Amino acid sequence: MKRWRYDSANDVERTPLARLRQFPREPDMLVYGLRSLGALIIRALLRVYNRFEIVGHENLRTNRSLVIVANHCSHLDTLCLLAALPLRKLHRAFPAAASDYFFQSVPRLWIAAVIMNALPFARQIRVRKSLSLCQELLANPGTILIIFPEGTRSTTGEIREFKSGIGALVAGRDVAVVPCFIDGSFRAWPKGRRLPRPGKLRLVVGAPRNYRARNTDKIDICAIAAELRDAVNELRQKNGSH
Amino acid sequence: MSPQIALHDPIFRAYFFIVLISLAVGGTVLGFLRMVLKKDTASMFRTYWSWLVIAAIGLLVVFAGRIPTIVGVTLLGVYAFKEFARASGLYRDWWMTGVVYAGIITVGIASLVSHPRGEEPGTGWYGFFVAVPVFAIALILLIPILHNRARGELQRMSLAIVGFVYIGWMFGHLGFLANASNAYGFLCYIIFATAVSDVAAFTFGKIFGRHPLRSEISPNKTWEGAIGALAMSMILPWLLRFSFPFFGVRQLILTGLIVGIGGQLGDLSISVIKRDIGTKDMAATIPGHGGILDRIDSLIYAAPLFMHMAGYYYPLR
Repeated sequence: MKRWRYDSANDVERTPLARLRQFPREPDMLVYGLRSLGALIIRALLRVYNRFEIVGHENLRTNRSLVIVANHCSHLDTLCLLAALPLRKLHRAFPAAASDYFFQSVPRLWIAAVIMNALPFARQIRVRKSLSLCQELLANPGTILIIFPEGTRSTTGEIREFKSGIGALVAGRDVAVVPCFIDGSFRAWPKGRRLPRPGKLRLVVGAPRNYRARNTDKIDICAIAAELRDAVNELRQKNGSH
Repeated sequence: MSPQIALHDPIFRAYFFIVLISLAVGGTVLGFLRMVLKKDTASMFRTYWSWLVIAAIGLLVVFAGRIPTIVGVTLLGVYAFKEFARASGLYRDWWMTGVVYAGIITVGIASLVSHPRGEEPGTGWYGFFVAVPVFAIALILLIPILHNRARGELQRMSLAIVGFVYIGWMFGHLGFLANASNAYGFLCYIIFATAVSDVAAFTFGKIFGRHPLRSEISPNKTWEGAIGALAMSMILPWLLRFSFPFFGVRQLILTGLIVGIGGQLGDLSISVIKRDIGTKDMAATIPGHGGILDRIDSLIYAAPLFMHMAGYYYPLR
């Protein structure tokens, strides 16, 4: 008789905490269930508490890989973007989250890994390694990356400069980049406030862009970052917010 | 079983103090090894801290009553099967694992509800409890047919059936014991005795261990440890005879054999599975013990044998 081949999970001998920290995570029925349930609750709360609405929903309807790029001034931003995705795509959608902020303390780690399905992004050191991890994920069709290229939450509500890493990620690659603008999240839940206020939230989804034809040199990378920032700003002006 | 009854139940109260004293003795011995004999006890202390947590949770759950005990055993079974599924690769097949989870939960429900026609409430539905594997296996065999798929299915079905029957249903007997009229005595004894047997095997093996018990299965177990654990398990029913005052000599001997031999066979059975898969522990859930499955392995084997032995000689409920 031939020996059976066991396809064990690659994290069998890791502690539960180490499992949450590792990435990519092994599929887990309980985690998927909790994440779907959490998403339903978050969606309902956003609708009721923040009168959340989405403009340009059709721009997210694709089965190919996506990079969603948005302005960032609140934790609500990630929730809004995740709420715009169909439930079945939730487990393939990875918001890039600062590993120094989200992957240290246990409660934050749990929320980031279980509810958000966050990708630990090393924003200070080893940025290159995190970017290559993102590229590996994107090679898999159906992956959705959510990236806030400002690198941190804005403390004024203004859109800060986009880091060039976003350019390096998408330059020369056949992947759709969707610029988004989130309105109202700064008023509803600014950095430093404990709990969100019931302010109106609106997500404007722009048309997908593609940077396949661009070079991967420094100049083009910075140009792409600037173009994406302009695209988000344009959505903001079209939305009529100030 | 309920907190009010537990509070006044002489058996539960006795076990509360027995566990406390055992842990105190264990801690003192470890402390002596470390302070006086200057031995390296770091790994043993890690195991010991986990024992403290396990004992506290175990006592609390049994104290809380029949329903928490059955729910707790069911959750442990679900989690232990999850570890098995992850280690064996079965977890990639969500239909199979889903059916096994449903089966384990059904075992818990059969222990909770009573027979729809008659029988005393609060004593479980014995007939259904014993019959759950029939339904679970029927469902497991149905999955490849529904998927119109044959390649590799025998392996998946086998893993699912072993997982359900061994980890889900056989371990589920521990929960069903909560329905016994002598629930405190049976539950406390079987849990405490398998733990003592495990510790005895480890201790005797550590001190006298020379001859490997099953070198191809578990390199660290020795004949000396096994015999020490068996001797300890044979004495224990007499020492703790108050747990089942109606037991005669034959039942006491059987109890000793079930815990002393069955417990170690359970340990070795899980070792066989681990050895074939090629992993050292099933998981790393409990520091110093490994996975949940590594902790409950002897109970899985001993609890159902003990329950049916007791049920053969005396009305269980």
